[in-house]
Amino acid sequence: MDHNIYLIGLNHRSAGVDVRERYALTNVEEFEDGLLEFGVREVMALSTCNRVEILVVCSPGITQTNILEYWAKRCCGSVSELEPNTYCHESLNAVKHLFRVACSLDSMIVGEPQILGQLKDSYRKAVDAGAARVIINRMLHKAFFVAKRVRTETSIASSAVSISYAAVELAKKIFGELQGQRAMLVGAGEMAELAATHLLNSGVEKISIANRTYSRAEGLAECMGGSAVPFENLYDHLVDADIIISSTGAHHAVISAKEMKKVIKKRKFRPMFFIDIAVPRDIDPDVNGLDNVYLYDIDDLKDVVEENKSQREDEAVKANSIVEFETLSFGNWINSLDLQPTIVDLFNRSESVAQQELAKTLKRLGEVDAKTHKALETMAMSIGKKLLHEPVAFLKRRTEEEGKADEFVDLARRMFNLDNETIPADAHCGRKKNSNPEN
Amino acid sequence: MSLFELFQYVTIALYLAGTTFFFIGSLKSNKLLGKLGNLSAIGGFALHTLDLLLAVTLYRGTVLSGGYFYFSLLGWSFILVYFGLWWKLRSTFFALTASPLALLLFLVSLASQGLKVTLPTHLAGLFIGLHIGTIFVSIALMAMAAGAGVAFLYLNNKIKTKANLTGMEKEMPSLNTFDNVNHWSIIIGFPLYTLSLASGFLWARAAFSKMFSWDPKEIVTLVVWFLFAFVFHQRIMVGWRGKKPAIMVIIVFVITMISLWGINFFVPTHHSFKA
Repeated sequence: MDHNIYLIGLNHRSAGVDVRERYALTNVEEFEDGLLEFGVREVMALSTCNRVEILVVCSPGITQTNILEYWAKRCCGSVSELEPNTYCHESLNAVKHLFRVACSLDSMIVGEPQILGQLKDSYRKAVDAGAARVIINRMLHKAFFVAKRVRTETSIASSAVSISYAAVELAKKIFGELQGQRAMLVGAGEMAELAATHLLNSGVEKISIANRTYSRAEGLAECMGGSAVPFENLYDHLVDADIIISSTGAHHAVISAKEMKKVIKKRKFRPMFFIDIAVPRDIDPDVNGLDNVYLYDIDDLKDVVEENKSQREDEAVKANSIVEFETLSFGNWINSLDLQPTIVDLFNRSESVAQQELAKTLKRLGEVDAKTHKALETMAMSIGKKLLHEPVAFLKRRTEEEGKADEFVDLARRMFNLDNETIPADAHCGRKKNSNPEN
Repeated sequence: MSLFELFQYVTIALYLAGTTFFFIGSLKSNKLLGKLGNLSAIGGFALHTLDLLLAVTLYRGTVLSGGYFYFSLLGWSFILVYFGLWWKLRSTFFALTASPLALLLFLVSLASQGLKVTLPTHLAGLFIGLHIGTIFVSIALMAMAAGAGVAFLYLNNKIKTKANLTGMEKEMPSLNTFDNVNHWSIIIGFPLYTLSLASGFLWARAAFSKMFSWDPKEIVTLVVWFLFAFVFHQRIMVGWRGKKPAIMVIIVFVITMISLWGINFFVPTHHSFKA
């Protein structure tokens, strides 16, 4: 094989935020164009706030150091600074790393799906720029397939691993659909805002804000499309609230169990869900003892999140074995890109089709003598071989003349489905829209 | 094997398959198994209906005095009410109560072929139909509310104690859904139960010339009615929700079951089953 695959990158584990910022790629397309001019065959760059990764397919003449030098130069940095903060994976290790990234096994929060979207964006840009060809195309399609398989076959992303998401999940478990529910913010901390935004995005109908500084409540209410209520009349307004997020800076409880007993009675026992994210806590813990009232403080939510995280780690073990399997399968495809194995596969395929058709014909004919049997077999095999003669000659010619072995060999393998792949129904969706052919 | 028997065996097989699919589907959070459970339950219910219609048509004279008919009809009512809930909520969760109870009652009905119910000679047409029809649907509603009550208490305890919800718990309907099932079962079930009692007393008046005869079945039924009336009142007037009505309906259902299995079989009453 006359090409190397490298994946060079830095992420939240290998580099600090200052280095990640300095070596982030602001214009990915230009970066890719530059590398193509530099002589690499294929390239795709991914740049997010947590990682920068450069996937290249190049001839053996180009080394990892050349790529690093180019990268450092583009970012006005130095190799001596960049190199200790990066990792470099080669050949199948690069493939495996890419699959792990796509499955979010390499993310800060394992199982969070955002990275897959970012990877798809980067791939689209590389295709548009003509920087992704046979190998990167195949590698990325496979990465998306692996990510889908992992999501289907493991429950890696099924549980909440952020405080606000956990709160929304719990609210759904209490109320069912959140449409029509009313939320209230008591105090207006940043985290409470985030949780409230999550609730609004999940369908909560109305939000009201009670804050000691009324003007701050009004400002926030305007931002969130809700209404401000006076802090002094808190209990009167609690009667109408189903989900309450509390985050005041008070040093003592602002909501007592005794008063809540009256509130819940006035509400005719409709359930209430309190999320207390203040430290020290805003809500008397005895509130949780009241019927139809559910109180979670920051530690309770953290416990839920931590337990979910550990479940995700267990699922990650299953996901890793899927990645291992698919990496090996990709390795088989890479190896088959040499012309000789493909010619062998083509003839094997032709022979097996001929044998199948011969068996069917013989079954229809019933008893035949040995001579007829032999003649039919010879004819079937000959047709298969003769039909392949021209395609094989074409392949040899094109690969020798133009040095485009990968492209034509891959095309032949796909045309004859030599890798026995199941083609999904939507495999070619969007192809018409994209003027750049994949291959 | 007669066609009648064949129907019954296939009904049992379908109810058993449905119950198995519902349980495994819930444990494994597998929606496909839930769908298969529904298909089995629909098939079983169709054959069960046919079986009941055949029994009424072929044995018109004796069917009302056979224990078989009553147990079979009660099991049928459970599935009927489950379908109503499924249509409303699109959740197969409530089949976990309806399906095994329907299967059990259908099996009991087959084992009760020899049981006889002492019936007054005066059947008073409309009253017996009302009495039996309404009581069975209201018991089925009670069962659904009790099942939802058990699930509510379990999930409520999990959320109150801040336990992490895993597997089946994640797929369970919300507390609000369980409470709604309790609400509608009580709102519809109690008037039906009352109608059943009223028609029963009117029937007794026609048959025995007195409405109330201190029969043990009548006494327990009245106790159930008072408890049912209490929880109905508390839900409507006071606004009870959640834990209290869940516990109350479980108690009402348990007493009803004790009355059905204990009093009808072991205590002398004019509702008794005799071999």
